[in-house]
Amino acid sequence: MEKPENHAMESETLDHHKSDDHSDESEQQLATETPKSDSSSQLSLTQEMEAVDDFIQSLSSSTDPLKEIPPSVEPFPETVDSLVSKMESSGLGRDEAEDSAFILAVNRISKSVLTLRELRLDSTPVSSWLNRASSVQNRAASLLDEEFRHLLDRSREKNKNNKNADLSSDSTQVESDRCVLQEEETFPDFPPESISTLKKIAGAMISAGYEAECCMSYEMSRRHAFKEELSEVGFEGINVEDVQRIPWESLEGEIASWISIVRRCSTVLFPGELSLCTAVFSSEDHAATRKRLFTGLVSAVTIRFLDFSGAVVLTKRSSEKLFKFLDMYETLRDLVPAVEQSDSDLIEEIKLAQTRLGEAAVTIFGELENSIKTDQGRTAVPSGAVHPLTRYTMNYLKYACEYKDTLDQVFQTEPEQETRRNQREDDEEYKVSAFGRQMIKVMEHLDANLEVKSRLYRDPALRSIFLMNNGRYILQKIKGSTEIRDLMGQAWTRKRSTELRQYHKSYQRETWGKVLQCMNQEGIQVNGKVSKPVLKERFKVFNAMFDEIHKTQSTWIVSDEQMQSELRVSIAALVIPAYRSFFGRYKQHIDSGRHSDKYVKYQPEDIETYIDDLFDGNPPSMARKRT
Amino acid sequence: MPATEFQGSFGRSLLTLRRDQTDSNHHHHQPQNTMEAELDSFQRQVAEKFIDLNASAGDNNLLSLDWISKLLDSFLCCQEEFRAIIFNHRSQISAPPMDRILSDYFERSIKALDVCNAIRDGIEQIRQWQKLSDIVISALDSHRPVGEGQLRRAKKALIDLAIGMLDEKDHSSTTSLAHRNRSFGRAKDNHSHHRSFGHFRSLSWSVSRSWSASKQLQALANNLNTPKPNDVAASNGLAVPVYTMTSVLLFVMWVLVAAIPCQDRGLQVNFSVPRHYQWAVPVMSLHDKIVEESKRRDRKNCCGLLKEIDRIEKSSKVMNELVDSIQFPLSEEKESEVKQRVVELVEVHEGLKKGLDPFERKVREVFHRIVRSRTESLDSLC
Repeated sequence: MEKPENHAMESETLDHHKSDDHSDESEQQLATETPKSDSSSQLSLTQEMEAVDDFIQSLSSSTDPLKEIPPSVEPFPETVDSLVSKMESSGLGRDEAEDSAFILAVNRISKSVLTLRELRLDSTPVSSWLNRASSVQNRAASLLDEEFRHLLDRSREKNKNNKNADLSSDSTQVESDRCVLQEEETFPDFPPESISTLKKIAGAMISAGYEAECCMSYEMSRRHAFKEELSEVGFEGINVEDVQRIPWESLEGEIASWISIVRRCSTVLFPGELSLCTAVFSSEDHAATRKRLFTGLVSAVTIRFLDFSGAVVLTKRSSEKLFKFLDMYETLRDLVPAVEQSDSDLIEEIKLAQTRLGEAAVTIFGELENSIKTDQGRTAVPSGAVHPLTRYTMNYLKYACEYKDTLDQVFQTEPEQETRRNQREDDEEYKVSAFGRQMIKVMEHLDANLEVKSRLYRDPALRSIFLMNNGRYILQKIKGSTEIRDLMGQAWTRKRSTELRQYHKSYQRETWGKVLQCMNQEGIQVNGKVSKPVLKERFKVFNAMFDEIHKTQSTWIVSDEQMQSELRVSIAALVIPAYRSFFGRYKQHIDSGRHSDKYVKYQPEDIETYIDDLFDGNPPSMARKRT
Repeated sequence: MPATEFQGSFGRSLLTLRRDQTDSNHHHHQPQNTMEAELDSFQRQVAEKFIDLNASAGDNNLLSLDWISKLLDSFLCCQEEFRAIIFNHRSQISAPPMDRILSDYFERSIKALDVCNAIRDGIEQIRQWQKLSDIVISALDSHRPVGEGQLRRAKKALIDLAIGMLDEKDHSSTTSLAHRNRSFGRAKDNHSHHRSFGHFRSLSWSVSRSWSASKQLQALANNLNTPKPNDVAASNGLAVPVYTMTSVLLFVMWVLVAAIPCQDRGLQVNFSVPRHYQWAVPVMSLHDKIVEESKRRDRKNCCGLLKEIDRIEKSSKVMNELVDSIQFPLSEEKESEVKQRVVELVEVHEGLKKGLDPFERKVREVFHRIVRSRTESLDSLC
């Protein structure tokens, strides 16, 4: 009988020898435990496997057709068969050394089968051996498949139980704490020993030519895991049709869930899946398999997400939806890196879904422009206050600026009209981003609209106040946010400030021009002497005007406190010195006459007091009594 | 006018009538109405496409992957024409009756989207069967001697395939049971070794659990009436292409549901088009042929009328019987028989392998096109 020689072995056997004594022992254990037919000598498993290695090697080098199987190799199929039976009852994943030994045996039987099948066989004993070997190989592969699935599913079940805080007796407190902590960070949560076993099994199945079964089992288990994961967070299949019927308030909630689930996939689930795939199918040769499995899994999940976003985009456009659409856009954008390792088809689909959302966002934003253009109230806002349209628009824009980068992306894909671009290129003011241009457009519409609204006021002074109020509100909103301010540019902001000053000047001129005229020294002296009648007239006119102004303009509103105070201060600075001087110079001429208080109604200090009533928005109060 | 003069679409004849009246009034020929020509051309195009499809629907080709792909291509073409027509006359679409008519069309087209998504799950299922038959083929590789192990491997895959292809209604309860037995504890009986593929269906969650393909088709077809003469006149004939497009959409979705496995598949839909439409005859002819086929195949409780499914079913059944009959050692006769069957299976399998991915992409394209036409109309309203 030929004994295996100690010549150069295959790397597997080398590793096998290098492994510690413990594994040798357990193999001996395995070997002695397996029921052996008494006819063959009691070779250890190690020796049998060495014999097989030699046999396989000899097959590849020899050219003569094989006539018989060496006796040392002859019992190998039955040896492995016993191992299979043993492993069937004890299961893999319990003893690493045992598993390794088993895997090595299976690999050898696979190799021998595959090698023999390549040869032309015309010898019955060889064919019969091959038949037995392939039967055993099939049995082993089935077991491995079963174990593979079992291991994958059991870890999934364990995760679920831990999440339910329903600790079974065989997991220690420490382990469950770790699992609960890790639940947030790692997915899937397979203990490293399981992964190592899974890897061994996958390798063995693929070597045996059972890659298809291995992949199917893997895919099935992972898909179930994903489905459970998604169900747990409440993500179920949703029909496109149903989405159309859900009122926006409820749909917003669904969108929020969607966002959090997709984010979880981007940050935890998909990377976790990639890690698992890479760990289980770790060999270089498995690269294509890895990619295929990963693509299959993430595609199946992602397409559900895209179905939802697609359904949402089909709903009617309305301005309140803009920000949620942008949120979804951003969420999808952040998903792409997580699926980079997959097929390009999937990435295209994601980008298409993004584009849809972007287009809808552009339309909705355009709606804003339209709604401004068509806001045609015939009633002026009482008291010249800030118009609701101004408030709405500015708040909308401010909120929109938080999405400035995304909106930029979205608008950049819009084809810009050629003529506009040429116009704008030289103008430094317009070297702004794509979204910035949109903002400016909206502002321009708003300005035009306010201009029209201001003409509803018959009083030119009130018109000015209206424009000041709204202009100030706009300016403050813009200054209050660095994003908008940077977006609009400094030149734009300066221009607005200038405009405000102009309105201010307009107001002063309209209201106080004539008042100042009464205090003009010209024409008071007639023939070198102060004309009393003229003076009386002047005072009378001043009083009447001032009364009227006070009565009317106290009901006007200037919302911005600072501007209100600025206005009052500027009016005071204009009127009081003039009045004081007029008063001081000419009062005595009237004092001496009768009914002097008929004409000199106001002391200079009074003027200041009354000016302070202006723009308070108060209903006309009773005339104050003089103290 | 004699009855035969009313051949052709109703709308067309109405316009012809008007034109003839003005003719008689003015005693000279008016130039051909371009809108009428446009609408006419659309009707003709649809008719041509379906005549073509009908002609290529020979016994072995009807409801094959190839033929259905052609059907989808035809849909995409018609849809593109339709879109152009609507665009050219967009000034009219916001006014009655077109606003109502178009909005109805879009509602139906949205229902079609859910059908597309459900079909996707069906395609995925077919892919699983493909993988199983792949295993059978590689196990019984015709170039190598068949060992007992390979035979067992093939047998297992064939059983899984048979289970997977059972109609949903028959076995969902038993296989979910099998799945549950598998996950918990260590099942040792033979049954556990079977990859209970029925429960792969439970993985489909493109549509909600209560969704039903047959109900969706019925909803799609609900109240699909030929356009009223008032509407045709008031819309300058535009009501007719909308009716046409809706009918085509319904037909395409109906075919998809007929061919591909999906949730609560059912083909009872009232579908009839008046014969005076140019495309009515070929469409109804196809409809009838498919109904025939469904009666024939449903006797065996098939899960989808796709020709390739039938072929896989047949050849895997034959293979299964053959494998069962094999005793080792293999006689030469048996061995060559096996090889023969494998070659047949490979043929079926190859066709599916090449065609399934592009088919899925085409269904996706249909989905995207429908969405696109909807969003365009939404954006144009703003």
